[in-house]
Amino acid sequence: MNHLTQTIALMEMSITCAAVITLLLQKTFSQEFPLLAKLMLILILANLFFWPLGMGMELPLSAYVRGAVGDLSIVTTLLLWTSLLLASKPAPVAFKLVLTFIAIIFYPLALGFGMLDPYAWGYGSIPFFIAVLLFALVCGLANWNKGVWIIAIAILAWAVHWHESANLWDYLLDPFLAIWALLAIFGTLYRRRKDKARSGYLFRPG
Amino acid sequence: MSRVIALCFLLLAAVIGLLHIDSRPAWAPFAINAVVITEEEVVLEPVPKSKTPSALIKPSIASPISTWLPDTGTPSVHAASLIALKDGGIRAFWFAGSREGAADVSIYSSTFDSKSSSWSAPVVVIDRVNAEKALSRYIAKLGNPVPARMADGRLQLFFVTVSVGGWAGSSISSMISDDEGLTWGVPQRLISSPLINLSTLVKSPAILFTDGRLGLPAYHEWIGRFGEFLRIDAGQVIDKRRMSSGRSAIQPLVFVNDAQDATAYFRQTRSAGQAKQVPVSQTQNAGQSWRVEPDLPIANPNSAVAGLQLNDGSRILVLNNRESGRYRLVLMMTDAKSQWQTIEVLEDDTALPEDQRKEFSYPYLITLDGNDAHLVYTWDRKKIHHRYFSGAWLKRAHVQLSASEVGNTPEEKKQ
Repeated sequence: MNHLTQTIALMEMSITCAAVITLLLQKTFSQEFPLLAKLMLILILANLFFWPLGMGMELPLSAYVRGAVGDLSIVTTLLLWTSLLLASKPAPVAFKLVLTFIAIIFYPLALGFGMLDPYAWGYGSIPFFIAVLLFALVCGLANWNKGVWIIAIAILAWAVHWHESANLWDYLLDPFLAIWALLAIFGTLYRRRKDKARSGYLFRPG
Repeated sequence: MSRVIALCFLLLAAVIGLLHIDSRPAWAPFAINAVVITEEEVVLEPVPKSKTPSALIKPSIASPISTWLPDTGTPSVHAASLIALKDGGIRAFWFAGSREGAADVSIYSSTFDSKSSSWSAPVVVIDRVNAEKALSRYIAKLGNPVPARMADGRLQLFFVTVSVGGWAGSSISSMISDDEGLTWGVPQRLISSPLINLSTLVKSPAILFTDGRLGLPAYHEWIGRFGEFLRIDAGQVIDKRRMSSGRSAIQPLVFVNDAQDATAYFRQTRSAGQAKQVPVSQTQNAGQSWRVEPDLPIANPNSAVAGLQLNDGSRILVLNNRESGRYRLVLMMTDAKSQWQTIEVLEDDTALPEDQRKEFSYPYLITLDGNDAHLVYTWDRKKIHHRYFSGAWLKRAHVQLSASEVGNTPEEKKQ
């Protein structure tokens, strides 16, 4: 079981590394690759990360990345993979705002600020579990079905102990997701400000 | 329609999640008297090598014996720990390498034969490369091995690994042995922190719950420095509770008072200007919640504390009872009626010039029969010193402690 967990974690990390490189390549070339090209690229890169390459390295490349960043949450992993491979609408700004707010409260408390430790709720607190379900429900009511699917899959992954962690938080949130949400909010604000300035220029009376 | 399907899937996940929560074990009381019963009586020949025998102890009682853990041929050793074996022996663990935190550091083990008062040749339990292959992630260094006896009789060894940065970037892993530590199973990672699982370490012995699971006193030392009580089910953390907060206390040592009540003593890590004493936390619900209590009035220079509860009700501590420096190590004792008092000065380089003083640190105590005590500690980072205090010696110290209490005032505020 432990061996299977480790293999799955390395496979996930390999695909994630491949997905990040593919996204960066798309950004570099400022164009969306065809789906087949993306799939092929991810397949090749993921294999490169998953298998031991030798050359003086004791481990596969993905194990080095895993050593540095740990196991990513299911939500981060699925958001990244689906944003690359599925044509679906992006995560709503409200989702990113709530995520950022939660992270800003959660991490200081979880890292020792006071005696309250919200991370401990993730081991089996029913009120916390209901709060997660309500959050997913709101995503559904806001017509972001992908969010519902992702959170539901994260809950299932936790229930079957897919990763090493027995804590639901580790399947829902990680610092990289929080940083992504924060940067995305700043990006949205910047774009809106830019658009407003542009429209103001166009319609300014001459 | 797609929304309905998504919500139905969420409902399915909700049901499975609730079933999962329902299947989780309830919190259990502490197991009392979890001292391992040895199969044969341990008889140790007295070797009068005590450096500074206490004036309280009469000569008729055997003096503590003194041995050294075997040389690993490496210049740096640290963080020794002990576990009682079923045959009456002891198994020690420690890490050794070219220097603390170096890539060549391995975790070593050796067994103590109480009949011959000698240690076996050291063997490597795990090294960095084997650890990273088993855990499928890069590991830069190993540290702090802490053994525990599981309820089913197997041994579990917790140890610290670091992938990036210093000790503050540590995570705990564990492995299990079915043969008293001769061979070990595949290590498993304990996940105990939401931030890349960074900064959970272990130093002190685990305690047993009545349901057979282990309570492991652990601590964080990145951003916050505080104690955490991990509830362990074989190779995974199934719950955890905060024992202190902020940046002032690490390496909790837990004394179980009864099935619900326990006291934790910490190594203080306070900033300049704050009290350099042993911080204390208390639980009255078997570790589910802890509250910070007033300090123990014993000086602590930001160094580890070891302790033991004995069958006669007395408790002993081994620590550096100074506000700075680790060059004096003492054995202290108390019981329900008396204050903590020094009963033996184990090491003391106070009289030496500062540049010649050695470090005596990271003590670790166990008892074989509930009356005696085996102690190991780092000696100048070059060797691990082992001291044995017989039940008779400790009993006599306890009697003398009670007698001397009348008319005495607490002495340990500062030495």
